[in-house]
Formats: sequence, structure tokens, C-alpha cells
Amino acid sequence: MVLDLWRRIRRVGTSAEPPPPRPVADRPDRAVELGGSVQLRHVDAGSCNGCEIEIGSAFGPVYDAERYGARLVASPRHADALLVTGAVTRNMREPLRRTYQAVPEPKLVVAVGDCARNCGVFAGAYGVAGAVGDVVPVDLEVPGCPPRPEAIVEALRTLTGR
Amino acid sequence: MNAVGAGLGVALLLALAAAVAAPLAPRTARPAVAGAGTALCGAAAVLAGVAALAGQRLTVELPGVLPLTGLTITVDALGGLFLAVVGAVAVATGIYAIGYGGPDGRGVQAALPLFVASMLLVPVAGNVGGFLLCWELMALTSLLLVAAEHRRRDEVASAARWYAVMTHVGFVAILIGLVVLAGHAVDDSFPALRSAGAQLEPATAGLVFVLTLVGFASKAGIVPLHAWLPRAHPEAPSHVSALMSAAMVTLGVYGIVRVGFDLLGGGTPWWWVLVLLLGAVSAVYGILQAAIATDLKALLACSTTENMGIVLVGVGAAGMFAGAGNLLLAGLALTAALLHVGNHSAFKTLLFLAAGSVLHATGTRDLDALGGLRAGMPVTTAAFGLGALSASALPLGAAFVSEWLLLQALVHGLAVGGVATAIVMPLAVATVALTAGLAVAAFVKAFGVGFLARPRSAAAARAHESPPTMLAGMAVAGVACAALALAPALVLPAVGRVGGALFGAADPLAAGLLVVRLQGFTGSLSPLLVAGAVLVGTAAVALGARLLAARSRDRTAVRLWDCGAGPLSARMEYTATSFAQPLQRVFDDVVRPEQDVDVTHHRESQYLVDAVRYRLRVPDRLEHGLYRPVLTAVAAWGRLGARLATGSIHLYLGYGFVAVCGLMVLLVAIR
Repeated sequence: MVLDLWRRIRRVGTSAEPPPPRPVADRPDRAVELGGSVQLRHVDAGSCNGCEIEIGSAFGPVYDAERYGARLVASPRHADALLVTGAVTRNMREPLRRTYQAVPEPKLVVAVGDCARNCGVFAGAYGVAGAVGDVVPVDLEVPGCPPRPEAIVEALRTLTGR
Repeated sequence: MNAVGAGLGVALLLALAAAVAAPLAPRTARPAVAGAGTALCGAAAVLAGVAALAGQRLTVELPGVLPLTGLTITVDALGGLFLAVVGAVAVATGIYAIGYGGPDGRGVQAALPLFVASMLLVPVAGNVGGFLLCWELMALTSLLLVAAEHRRRDEVASAARWYAVMTHVGFVAILIGLVVLAGHAVDDSFPALRSAGAQLEPATAGLVFVLTLVGFASKAGIVPLHAWLPRAHPEAPSHVSALMSAAMVTLGVYGIVRVGFDLLGGGTPWWWVLVLLLGAVSAVYGILQAAIATDLKALLACSTTENMGIVLVGVGAAGMFAGAGNLLLAGLALTAALLHVGNHSAFKTLLFLAAGSVLHATGTRDLDALGGLRAGMPVTTAAFGLGALSASALPLGAAFVSEWLLLQALVHGLAVGGVATAIVMPLAVATVALTAGLAVAAFVKAFGVGFLARPRSAAAARAHESPPTMLAGMAVAGVACAALALAPALVLPAVGRVGGALFGAADPLAAGLLVVRLQGFTGSLSPLLVAGAVLVGTAAVALGARLLAARSRDRTAVRLWDCGAGPLSARMEYTATSFAQPLQRVFDDVVRPEQDVDVTHHRESQYLVDAVRYRLRVPDRLEHGLYRPVLTAVAAWGRLGARLATGSIHLYLGYGFVAVCGLMVLLVAIR
């Protein structure tokens, strides 16, 4: 019975898709300090939740970002990097800044999606304070509206170096 | 006249003098006169009690005091112990009362020293008539004090009624029990009762014991006769609460020990199984109510039920061991129980006085409206912290020593053998352990929610420290707590002799200043070394953390993480209700909380919520089940009786006429 289970786990484990090749982009210097394990705090700064669905997918069983050493955590106090989505709204400007301050050094910021990079279709809207880069320093950007999970996984692999 | 007589005489004279002088003094000086008199009276009583514990005896006959029976004063070691406990509580509360203020009516101020005097007389009364007189005097004076603030708050009157009825039901039970016993003796003195009690039939002796047990248990706040405690203690002025909870309630234990072991000579094992079970149920039920209480003084009152329950577990175990012939173990169990009486008096005095100080400063007892008192009231906070530590049976606290002794007695009791012991002792051990755990939760809640964090109301934010006399009263109780916790050897030999003397056995333990060692069993404890180890360990951890912090570079001060949303407010803190919620869920079947959620929808759309109202009430379930039917029956009986009283004077005269005629006929018929 137990052996049977082991056999099944072994079979399924070997039948998984092989990981795509390593990304070629340079790792930021601070990401090298983290040693291959990056804990991420996700901040929704004013997203339409399209990016959230793709992030969820990136951490799901198909793309499984966790096997490369990236992990979502529940507090910036536990995090090495922020995963920010959406154009930064006026209400979220100060909370985003405080969340960034709450992350211990060394810390990184990943702007996920076109809105986070340059406000996307919401640029100039009355409630938008600016892109993520206008509020906190951004280390890595993931383009796309929404970005594909492969792109998100690739960005995270750039951080972890795996 | 020896030291006992001198001390007791001086104490009673001082109390009388204070009771006379306080009403005559000008209004502002009354609390000072009554308080100082009470404190001095207590100090004299402590001297008398210590002398009695050291072996001095006293017997005084005062035939003229009370018609028919007279009053006999007999001080022995057991009485001396309770004399000392009551006296010590009176010293702390008397000093405290000077600054407390509160109601300054003449009667109330005169009642305080009289209450203490009657409590001092109860454990030294040597005959049934005198004992009952003092017991009733104690009930009446305490009732006056409970009702002291009835003009300010309506709840006081209701609490006083509950207390009056419960205490008098208890008094009637004691009266019948002792009179039945005295009916078999030559006169009503305790030595005569002792020789009569030894020859009593088991059924009669059992009846006497159960009747007196009902009375004494109602005074000790034992479940299911505890209903008055969480009502009367919170409503009484705080120094009176301390006197009642720390001194008067323990006299219920005195009564059980005096009648059961001394006058009736130990009786049959089922008595003590009953006492032990009552104690166990009270301990768990009391601390459970305390753990979910949100009224600071009601929490302390429920904790009194718990502690008296633990004491009765010890008393019951002692009776069972004595019945099985193991006198050494019986002495140990009773010593643990009596030590716990002393410890409880010390920390409960301290806790009630500190709670009174909080009430004095903020005007509220509601834990959900307190918090943040540490900044404004550092001394009171420290006092309550010490009391809470002592009450939660952890090392460095006083109750730890007595509960350790009790657990030792219960665990070693398994060796006594017998079916009852084999069933009851493991249950008792589990009960004491569960109680200790719940007590920690209850007192962490009281201290953490009440005194730490941020103030939850404007009154708590404005809190200021109490006047120096109140702090001095707390200091006396605090020193007693610390002494009992660190050096129980100061009192243990004397308490052990009381326990041993009742059973005619040797001292159950050898208490050196450093180590307390059980005699005849393996087991020893060194409170001083444990305290030292805990303090050194804590200091080492604190120092290590500081050194590590000093070594790390690049430290930046950042704001507390508040989800980035803005400053944390007092409304986000844990309240007493939310702290107790998990416990309340675990014990859902026992406490049966009543809660309902009312959602009011917006007028325009039922998808929009206008207001949500959440109500939680934890009614006393035992009280609900037991008292409600009795009260309903009494009310129905009263309505039935009211039909006879129509208000017509002719009818009333007619009743009198018929009654007299009936009596005449009856006399003629039976003569």
C-alpha cells in the first residue's frame, strides 16, 4: 500500500514537464545577496485584478513558481521583495510607500503588468497617482496586459537565479 | 492572661472604640478613624493568632453576654490560624480604607470595624450559641457594607438582597445542624459537642454534617450556592470586597473543618468524597466563569469560588485519607488546603485593593473600557501584576507552593488504596491542573487587557495614581504575597502543626528556609531557588537579547506594521471579550453563551447594510437551572398568600381571633 503510493509519486514526479531554460537577463545585485530564495509580498496598488489571476496561475500547479525558490508570504516583514500590480491610486500611494519601508533590507520591487510600469490604459485618470516607479524604486518589470504566467515566472527566476 | 488573650482583647476593644468613634467624628475624618481602628484591631488579632499558633491556649467564659447559653471564647491552633488570616487582611484593608473614601455615612463607617470584630470572634467562639451569634453578626455587618452604595446604583440593592437571602438560608442550615448536634450533648459548648459527636449514629451525624456543609458552603461561595458572590463582591466598596472575599469566605472553610474533623471526629468517607467533588466542580466552574468575565471585580469574585474549591479539594482529600487511616497524608492534604487559604487571602486582598484603586481612578470595572493604566498608575499596575502572578499558580507566585503541596498529597494518595480513592484522586489531580491552566488565562486577561496596551476609554486615559494610604494598604498585601511565595517556611511549620494536630499525626513536612521537604514521601521544593532560577534565566535572556542587538549594525527605527493603513487605534486591540472567545468556544457546552447578531439593512436596498449589532451574554447556567424554578415557586406562593391580605383591618383582626381560638382548642385538646 505505502510502496504503491511511493511508486505512484515517483511515476508522476518523473512525468512532469521539464522546466523551460533559464532566463538570460542579468540578476540584480541585491537578488544575488538573497541566495536563491525570494519571499514575495504581493501589493495590489490599484489593479483590475487581471494581473492577480495571472500571478495566481504562475504559482499554480502548471507553472509552479515555487519550485524555483520564489514564495508568496503574508506580510512585508517576512518578505524580500514586493510584487506590485496596477497603477498606483491616490489611496494606495501612502500604503505602498509604508509597505516598502516595512520590508527588511536587502529588498527588491517587481512591477507586474503594463499598469504598474506606466499606468497603461489608466494613465492620466483622476484617481491615479502614477506608475509604481513614481512611488518606490523598481528593480524589475514584467510587461503585458496582463502578463502571461510564463513571463512572471521568468521574472521571478531572474530574481532567484534558478 | 497570656498573649492570646491580650491580643484578642485589645483587638476587640479597638474595634469597638473605632465603631463608637467613627460616627462621632466629623464627616471627612470618619474613614480615617474607622480605617485606622480596623487596621490596629487587625494587627492585634494577628499577634493573638500567632501566639495561638505558637502553642498558647485561651478559654474565657462570659455567661452574661448571651442569655441562656452565654459566650465561651476558646482559642486553639486552628482558630488561631484563621484569627491571624482575618487580622492580616484587616490590617491591609484598614490602611486602604483611610484613603478610599467611598460612602461616608455614620452606619457604614461604624459597620467596618464591627464586621472585622465579628469575623475575629467566629473562629474563637467556643459554644454553639456564641458561634451562631457571631456568625449572624458577621452576616449583618457585611450586609450593611454591601448595601453601602445603594443610593448611587440600583444594582447594589439587588446584590444586597441576593446576599441577604443566600447568607440567611445558609445560616438557617447551620443553625439546624448545630442545634441537632447540641441536642445530643449535655450543653452547647464545643467540648461537650465533641464527646457527643463521637457517639452519634452515622445517619444523624451525616445529617448534621450535610446541613452545616450547606451553610458553610454557601458562605464559601461553593457551587451551586455561589450565586451571591459575583453579585455582592463587585457592588460592595472595594475594601469591603477584599474583606469579604479574603477573610469572610475563608470562615466557611473554617466551619467545615471545625465541624467535620473536630466536633464530629472525621465521620464517614462519603462526607469527604462529597466535599471533594463539590470543591472540584467549584474550582473548574468558578475559574471558567472568571475566564469569560469582563467585569474586573466579578472576575475576582469568580476566582474566589475557584480558590475555595481548591481548598475544599484539599479538605475532602484529607478526610478521605484520614478515613483510610493514613494520618500523615491527611495532615499533608489539610496543610496544603490551609496554606492555600492563607495564600488566597493574601493575593485576593491585593487584587481587590488594586481593582478598587482602578475603580477609584477610572470609575469603571469593565475590562473592555480599561487598558493602558500602566502609564498613569504604575504602582497599582505592579500590585495587580504581583497579585495576578500569585493567583495563577506559577513559580514566583504564592499559590504555586500550596497547589504543589496539594498535588503532592493527591498523587501520593493513590497509594492509600480503595475504590473511591482510585477513582477520585486522578480526577482531582486533573481538576487542579485544569484549574491552574484556566487561572493563568483568566489573570493574563485581567492584567493584559486591563492594564497594558492602550487605554480604550477616556476615563482610562485620564487615570491617575491613588492616594498614598491606599498604596500603603496594597503594599502590605503585596509584601505578604511575596513573603508567602518566596519563604513559605515562615508559616508552613505552624500550618503543618494545625493540620497534624487535628489528626493527632506528626508534622507532614519539614520546612527549612530554603527547601520544603515532605515527611515520609519523596518530594521537595525550594521556592527561593526556583524564584532565583527564574529571575536569573529571565535576566540572562534579556541581557543576551540586548547584547545581540547592540552587536548588529545598520539598525533603523521603523513604524509598527499596521498594514500600511494608518495609525493603530485602541479599537483594534484585543478586548476581554475577544481574548476569552476561544475559551468560550471550547467550553461552549458548559457555559452556553447567548449571542445574536442583528443586521439592519439600508432603507433603499437590502444589499446595503446600515448597522450590525452583536450582543453576547454569558448567563450563569447553574443559576439559571437551579434558582429560577425556586424563585418562580416562591413568587407563586407569595401571590397565593397575598390573596389572604386584602387590606381589610376587620379581616386581619378576624385572623388573629381565629388563630387564638385555634390555639386554645389545641391546648385544651393536647393537655
